[in-house]
Amino acid sequence: MNLYRGLSGEALALVRQHQDVVDRLPRTFLVNTLTEIEKWPTLFDPEQAYFRALFAELAALDASDFRQVFGSLADFEARTGCDRVKGDGPEVLQSRLLNHLQRQGQYAAWRREIDALFQRLEPRVEARLNTDRAPRLVVILYEEGIAIERETLWKRFRSLGTRVPLDLAGAQARDPFVRALFTGRPPGDGSGATLFEVLSQKSGFTPLSAWILEAGDSLCSLREQAGHSDCATGLSYARLRAYRERLAEAIYTKVTSGGVRGPQELAAWMKTLELDEGGKPVHPDPKVAAFMRDILLSGSGTLIINNTFVEWGAVQALRRVQPQLVVARFGVRDKMKPFSSLLLFSKPRPTDQIPILQDPLGSFIDVELLSYYIWLNAEEVPANRQNTLYLLLADGVDEMLAVLPASRQLPAPRRATLMDVAATMAHRLGVQLPGSPGKPIWDV
Amino acid sequence: MIWRIPHPEFRTPNGEARRNFLKLAAALIADYFLPRRLLARGSSVKPAYRAIVVTFGGGARYQDTFAPEGWVNIPHLVNDLLPQAIFYPSARNEGLTGHFNSSAALLTGNWQFVDSFGSEPPATPTFFEYLRKERHLPVEETWVIATNKSFSLIGGSHGRDYGVPYAANVILPKQLLLEAIQSAVGSPQGPGVEDRESFLKTMLSALDEGYENYGWQVYDSGRKLSQELRQSLAQSLLDYFNDPSVPSSGDELTFFMTKEIMNRFAPSLMLVNFWDIDIAHYGSYSLYLQAIRRTDRLVWELWQYAQSLPAYRDRTLMIVIPEVGRDGDIHGNGFANHRSGDDSCRRVWLLALGAGVPKGTASERPVHHIDVAPTVAQLLGFKMPGCDGKPLVELAI
Repeated sequence: MNLYRGLSGEALALVRQHQDVVDRLPRTFLVNTLTEIEKWPTLFDPEQAYFRALFAELAALDASDFRQVFGSLADFEARTGCDRVKGDGPEVLQSRLLNHLQRQGQYAAWRREIDALFQRLEPRVEARLNTDRAPRLVVILYEEGIAIERETLWKRFRSLGTRVPLDLAGAQARDPFVRALFTGRPPGDGSGATLFEVLSQKSGFTPLSAWILEAGDSLCSLREQAGHSDCATGLSYARLRAYRERLAEAIYTKVTSGGVRGPQELAAWMKTLELDEGGKPVHPDPKVAAFMRDILLSGSGTLIINNTFVEWGAVQALRRVQPQLVVARFGVRDKMKPFSSLLLFSKPRPTDQIPILQDPLGSFIDVELLSYYIWLNAEEVPANRQNTLYLLLADGVDEMLAVLPASRQLPAPRRATLMDVAATMAHRLGVQLPGSPGKPIWDV
Repeated sequence: MIWRIPHPEFRTPNGEARRNFLKLAAALIADYFLPRRLLARGSSVKPAYRAIVVTFGGGARYQDTFAPEGWVNIPHLVNDLLPQAIFYPSARNEGLTGHFNSSAALLTGNWQFVDSFGSEPPATPTFFEYLRKERHLPVEETWVIATNKSFSLIGGSHGRDYGVPYAANVILPKQLLLEAIQSAVGSPQGPGVEDRESFLKTMLSALDEGYENYGWQVYDSGRKLSQELRQSLAQSLLDYFNDPSVPSSGDELTFFMTKEIMNRFAPSLMLVNFWDIDIAHYGSYSLYLQAIRRTDRLVWELWQYAQSLPAYRDRTLMIVIPEVGRDGDIHGNGFANHRSGDDSCRRVWLLALGAGVPKGTASERPVHHIDVAPTVAQLLGFKMPGCDGKPLVELAI
């Protein structure tokens, strides 16, 4: 059993460098760590930094500290016979260990052990991480078409946020709204650099510093209008349609070929699934390409529901990439097709189109909770915790909700414009939008 | 301690239309399962009572159901059934919080720790097996009707001296439809469908889902539909799908199949697994709530249907319980999952009504999934040795 044969490069070097402590790690902790660092080439910088800090901290633990951190899990594994489980490679061993624990009725107890272990270990690792505490901004947008109920809008943020009345000044419709918000120019003024372009000129900013996750493609279109499509990382559910369909086709073919014996086996196969786009990679950055595949294949529903894709993509970007700017733009979800509607025609032809109906009311219920989940997850990340300004807006809605860093409560202005909101976003990220008449609402 | 429950007012949605196709399909399927009396050796003694265990399969959180803010999602349970029921608000799932093991715990009276995706049967005998063996009952006396396709092996255990000879019939209505469609589309003599491959794919994606992950399987329990039945179903299906009033979910199919089985066989013991709620894994809170409301309606209609049949009226215990809760929001994607093991995902509720039940009461006593099987055994009058659960003592049985 060679647990390290899937490792190469820096991941292998890390293990070899700290082999002494690696050999003493409880097995369930070890195999989970190894399965993560096997993905080293596709891990983003903060993830790689985390594992470097983790191994450094492990190596620095003296016998007493090691016992304090890992002793309980080691005892648990000894009691439950985890040492008797064999597996060829970390993924197989991981799967068999979990199966072993499940069959013994120990799975829940093991999860508690792991949770407790990380509560002891994480503060130590975080202390080594030198986390980038540059100001963060998360913008959550609802696209027009979602049936917004003003009385309940953003209700889960009520105790956290400040409502700001907005003067839309002719920017009620989707395109002028989005343009004014991200250029800081008055509606009708088609000029002006977008926030994404301005940020891309800032020292130290890379395309991975700003992420757009959207159900439609209005933000990706805006980003591209000035010919700067590489100024931010943008994932559009609508634009990924062809890729999504190819993934679904590959899964369908695999399942119907009878080549898999269950969800776990299929999940393992999907991790190896590499699909390109007519010979070209789906994204020029291989890490982003792998991210896209993982988002669509590992998040239940992301392949099927646009807003689930947006939320899960935003959450994963916040956790894994820790960008300074994340814009999550939700849209209207299609209604799930009842299977009764799939055969509207007694003789369906390829040209027959089954009508797609949208669900504006359901979409509102969905995005209200998904927005809250983005906030919850973002605050779990040390780089974001109490360091992030959250702005929630909806196309054509004349108010905004702001959750200030550390949930500070600041007085809301009598009224602000979209240009002011744009200036606030730019100010938060340390830039100015050229030619914008907007003024930051708060100095946060 | 038993306390009375307040009875809030709720509106009730309209009833749904009849679906003739399903009756036909159910009748055909019933014909297939019917001639199974070989095991009824000795004197078969049918119990005086019936029991129906119904799951809010997929799992529903307390906060989305019986907490005050959730009442709007279960108007029939709160408004129509609670006054007739005993309610246990402190039910808990202390086992694995997956679907198969949770439902198997209901059937066996033991927490189950087998494969989560249904590739193996429960580890200990089910109440179906105990009932059939002790009473020498034929297989049509015990049924599992399940929307969850991974339940094909749940009707019987590998238990020594029990197992397949005493297992329940398991019927997966969605899979039966799928099989019929595949047959129809794959046959040159089948119904006219010009773009067969595209049609088949569309149907597979609609009917063959496992919300939690891709790749869920139907494991072979050793019984196949006959060729004759498949052909009959295939022809009927296209007529069915051209009817604009046909059901729109797997649970509707399960409900209609359940009614047909009750009507034809009046089985003594059934597990009805509704599972649309598990669409929560897709991350759509509104679809999850819709599914809860649908399950609420179907449970109410199922109880009404039972009361309309002489074989069931006034002699039936119905127990309704979610398989699991779902994770609390604090975990970040709360309702979408149910494996954190937190309180929100373990806390459920139990509603019992009918035979032996003190109406309009509740007990705060903690109860568990494993208490369901011994309660049913006590009512129907058979023994479940080795069962870890305890009967619900508040019931007068």
